[in-house]
Amino acid sequence: MIEYTPDFLINFWNWFPVDAQTVAIILGKIVLILLPLILSVAYVTYAERKVIGAMQVRIGPNRVGFFGFRLWGLGQPIADTVKLMFKEVIIPTQANKYLFLIAPILSIGPALAAWAVIPFDRGMALANVDAGLLYVLALTSIAVYGVIIAGWASNSKYAILSALRSGAQIVAYEIAMGFALVGVLMASGSLNLSAIVEGQAGGMSSWYFIPLFPLFLVYFISGVAETNRAPFDVAEGESEIVAGFHVEYSGMAFALFFLAEYANIILISALTALMFLGGWLSPFEGFTFLEGTMFEFLRETSLIWFLGKTSFFIFCFLWFRATFPRYRYDQIMRLGWKVFIPITIIWIFVEAVMMLAKVGPWAV
Amino acid sequence: MTFIDLNFYFFSALLLAAALGVIASKNPVHSALWLVLSFFSCAALWLLLEAEFLGIVLVLVYVGAVMVLFLFVVMMLDINIEEMRKGFVRYLPIGALVALILAAQMIWVVGPIGPDILDDESLKQAVRHGADYSNTKELGRVLYTEYVLPFEIASIILLVAIVAAISLTLRRRKNTKYQTPSKQIQVKRDDRLRIVKMDAEAKE
Amino acid sequence: MLENYLPVLIFMAVGLIVGFVLLTMGGFMLAPHKPDEAKNSPFECGFEAFEDSRMKFDVRYYLVAILFIIFDLEIAFLVPWAIVLEDIGLFGVLSMGIFLGVLVIGFIYEWKKGALEWE
Repeated sequence: MIEYTPDFLINFWNWFPVDAQTVAIILGKIVLILLPLILSVAYVTYAERKVIGAMQVRIGPNRVGFFGFRLWGLGQPIADTVKLMFKEVIIPTQANKYLFLIAPILSIGPALAAWAVIPFDRGMALANVDAGLLYVLALTSIAVYGVIIAGWASNSKYAILSALRSGAQIVAYEIAMGFALVGVLMASGSLNLSAIVEGQAGGMSSWYFIPLFPLFLVYFISGVAETNRAPFDVAEGESEIVAGFHVEYSGMAFALFFLAEYANIILISALTALMFLGGWLSPFEGFTFLEGTMFEFLRETSLIWFLGKTSFFIFCFLWFRATFPRYRYDQIMRLGWKVFIPITIIWIFVEAVMMLAKVGPWAV
Repeated sequence: MTFIDLNFYFFSALLLAAALGVIASKNPVHSALWLVLSFFSCAALWLLLEAEFLGIVLVLVYVGAVMVLFLFVVMMLDINIEEMRKGFVRYLPIGALVALILAAQMIWVVGPIGPDILDDESLKQAVRHGADYSNTKELGRVLYTEYVLPFEIASIILLVAIVAAISLTLRRRKNTKYQTPSKQIQVKRDDRLRIVKMDAEAKE
Repeated sequence: MLENYLPVLIFMAVGLIVGFVLLTMGGFMLAPHKPDEAKNSPFECGFEAFEDSRMKFDVRYYLVAILFIIFDLEIAFLVPWAIVLEDIGLFGVLSMGIFLGVLVIGFIYEWKKGALEWE
């Protein structure tokens, strides 16, 4: 690529100090991550309406298109965003003004920043941090602040109720999530997300969802609960507490909560794909009969595999929402504390013993 | 001044400002949030010392768990600020005394008088490691073997914390009904339903 | 090691800036701002708000938060153990077994006491 670049551009680039070049490259990569992410967030909302529409035998959005063409309603998310931008942000009189405005920023900031350590393909990560998984866990634990502060600052009864509920709920499922991650760490022996994926190399049978099957289920279900999605959406519960913690929010402030929620959905899906389904590794890896045929490329690792697996989990989020009725709050807490935590602790014990005895898929 | 130094000064300034915010804000919720910010900048400082694991765990445990509890407590308590003001003068002497002792201790340790701990060459500069150095692994290798006794004592302390928290806060209400799913599942038809055979009654 | 964290630091700053810019741009520059009394009152299904909404609530929520701290610490202890499991072998597994065993006793205690029940 470099030899096709005009000289004056190269000279211009070299004119900058080295540090500025490093920062510029990093900023460029961040834009390369954030733009597709925000675009996918927009289109996950579209996918949600279409998928749920199809499951309920409706059509879903199909009017808004581009340049007079309808295009199955593909313009809908863009239209929604533009509309939200031009809507007034109402700040209730009894609200705590600064905290009310800080809360959406606090919920979108960590949701985006967690993407810094996600590897997309072999060697394709912005920051190849050694403690990558721990960093993601820490950032997801900060996400609760946006909800609690929003609920308190609004000074509305529904918002407070929702903040409490979702605070206690997120907290309960975070423990199950953390224990499930410990199981992954035991299998991989590393906190680095790229190393975790590479530890699953060698075909579909060595992906971690087989030896860690209970943890895989616990992790994904806890992920659904962490993002306050149906069937664990008592924080929003539109039929009882109208919209929960963001009842008082409108316009762009509301849009930021929305953006954060969907960014978190994509994040949980991507993490599940990385940790349990081998990320960018091909499911056909080690299929020797493909050798020499035109399908040999299927065995290569690729970004496409990662995106495909992530999309599958995103689809599961939408599917759950269309299928399951909302859990009652005491049932949610029971599931988190009395089912998931014992399962994960027992499985950690089992895994440790199996690893010591070097049995079956647990042998390293 | 290198970029790392710049970061150090930025985060320490942030830490001091946030700590000042904790004691200076009138609203207890604001205080708690300033405390969150100070924990955060503290974690950044630890990261600058390459204490990767400790830095991130500080965020995970203190910001993600302890401060959530603080916020829960502080948000929902009706704290009367007027009444807190009244106590200010009464507690001023004790507060001043504690502050004085703390300041004296700090000066003793890091200041010009007292033991010269900074003389040790290894303390002057944090050891820099390569990109693939794993701080967590180093910690794990010694924590569970060499320091196994303190580690087990930590579990006892946590157990005491569980018992204490439950005995202090658990109140059972008399007339609430609990759901026991295992019992619900085991219910048979015969437990609930009784079929009574009776002859048809004659018309009056 | 620190060079790995430079992108993370920049990304965090960018994340917060994105939030701030979207909020100020969308919320205050493009959007209208015409407040009135009814619009700015807290939403309460058409009623006037008749008391402060920041109320006292069940102590159970505090208990959950305290138990969460304890379990979070447990996870923090488990993480370094999990990644060096191969190096420390049987001794490491046994020392963690005792640690977790003690905490499982605590967990059973809170279960039996009914601290995990919600009404």
